[in-house]
Amino acid sequence: MNALLERPPAPAAPALPLTVRAGGPLQTLDRRPMAPFAAPVLDFLSALSHDLLASPDARRHPDIATFAFWCRRGHLQPMAEAWARGPARVGRGLVLHIAPGNVPVNFAFSLAFGMLAGNANIVRVAEVERAQTTVLCAALQRRFADPRHAVVAARNRVVQYARDDTVTAALSAQAAARVLWGGDRTIAHLRSLPAPPRCVDVAFADRYSLAMLDARAVNEAGSQALADLVRGFFHDAYLQDQDACSSPQLVVWQGEPAACAQARQRFWPALDALLEREYALAPIHAVDKLVQLCRAAAALPQAQSSVRHGNRIHRVQLQSLPAGIEQHRGHAGFFFEVDTTGFEPLAGVVDARLQTLTTFGLDRQALARRVVELGLTGIDRIVPVGQALAIGLVWDGHDLVSTLSRIVEVP
Amino acid sequence: MNNLEKYDATFVDTLMVGRDALAALKYQDVEAWDSVGHMQLMNALEEAFGIEMDIDDIIAFSGHEAGKGILAKYGVQL
Repeated sequence: MNALLERPPAPAAPALPLTVRAGGPLQTLDRRPMAPFAAPVLDFLSALSHDLLASPDARRHPDIATFAFWCRRGHLQPMAEAWARGPARVGRGLVLHIAPGNVPVNFAFSLAFGMLAGNANIVRVAEVERAQTTVLCAALQRRFADPRHAVVAARNRVVQYARDDTVTAALSAQAAARVLWGGDRTIAHLRSLPAPPRCVDVAFADRYSLAMLDARAVNEAGSQALADLVRGFFHDAYLQDQDACSSPQLVVWQGEPAACAQARQRFWPALDALLEREYALAPIHAVDKLVQLCRAAAALPQAQSSVRHGNRIHRVQLQSLPAGIEQHRGHAGFFFEVDTTGFEPLAGVVDARLQTLTTFGLDRQALARRVVELGLTGIDRIVPVGQALAIGLVWDGHDLVSTLSRIVEVP
Repeated sequence: MNNLEKYDATFVDTLMVGRDALAALKYQDVEAWDSVGHMQLMNALEEAFGIEMDIDDIIAFSGHEAGKGILAKYGVQL
């Protein structure tokens, strides 16, 4: 190994009032970047993937299984090969991640994105401990302790601390990039904390998502295809109680009114039957939904009627799509729905807040072209129903490997 | 252990099913082969045979018999 690589880590940071949940003390953090998809990172993530998938925790927490499946070698290696064909790249250095509280496994994804882009990382997990946080931190810590993963262990920390600007500011001051998750106000506040001049911020703020279903495709779907559609929608909307940014809040039916009416008669009862078998609604959510219903009726003149399937599904039918629909969010099974023909009625109300469009029976490439041609400010993802929560290295319209690394250009 | 034995052993270990039930076994036939079990099984097969499967093949992997043809695409002869 040459002398440069043996250089000791950068100067130590002062001790901060925080708890390290995975990794050694902050003072020993090695901030030196590596190439994206460096072999030690792929080795580490595939070992982590193996541990998690083999443990009973994967069965208790399907979201952990999904994370583990995402970071297995079979998924990452082909991406590594694709990136290796591009220009020379290296990570930016130290990335500070302020992880979200609404989706508990996203801190692990955020960490993995930072690692894969070639960085050292400090991830702050939300103060409210979720079962997934405990499981994932323990799994990370076990692998960090394995001498075979010393290169990765030296560069990564998961920390937890009460909301404290002095801590976040001290960490921000050392960051080459920040990945900020949170509500709009949280993001605005975090961004106001000073960072070095070249620091790059990636902000994952509040977003709004919807499903667009082709009525004819729903009407013509065989029983297996309908069951798959309903299960996919259940996964998208109910797995995180509609709290994820990519969970649908609005269902846009494509087709003539009679076809849409028929499709609704197939879709919602099938979903309700699945929910009856597999979804336990907390009583508080049932009350929330009634409150939402009253609020929507008062705020939206376009609301013409509502239908309830027990307490599991509340849906409000809109005569047309109002501007500002993204201000109306549901929770734990509360949807707006509208009948439309063509993409234009939706395009007319698309706002920068719109993130994921899940579709059934529609040409996603053609929809993506329309987003570009019409110069829309929102819609970053168009995926089949069932894939709403499938987070990846391109998220919210950002290519995270690109953003969190730099090109060493040789023109 | 030849490839077929390895293939069967991966099913038995991951899904906790008896060897005699394997031939007719399909996705969601047993409780352990649900969506999480599917991820565990696909990962175990990738590790056992040192392959990286395409997402379309992972979705198409609908049963013990169907999986043999899929693995053949990756040069694994069973």
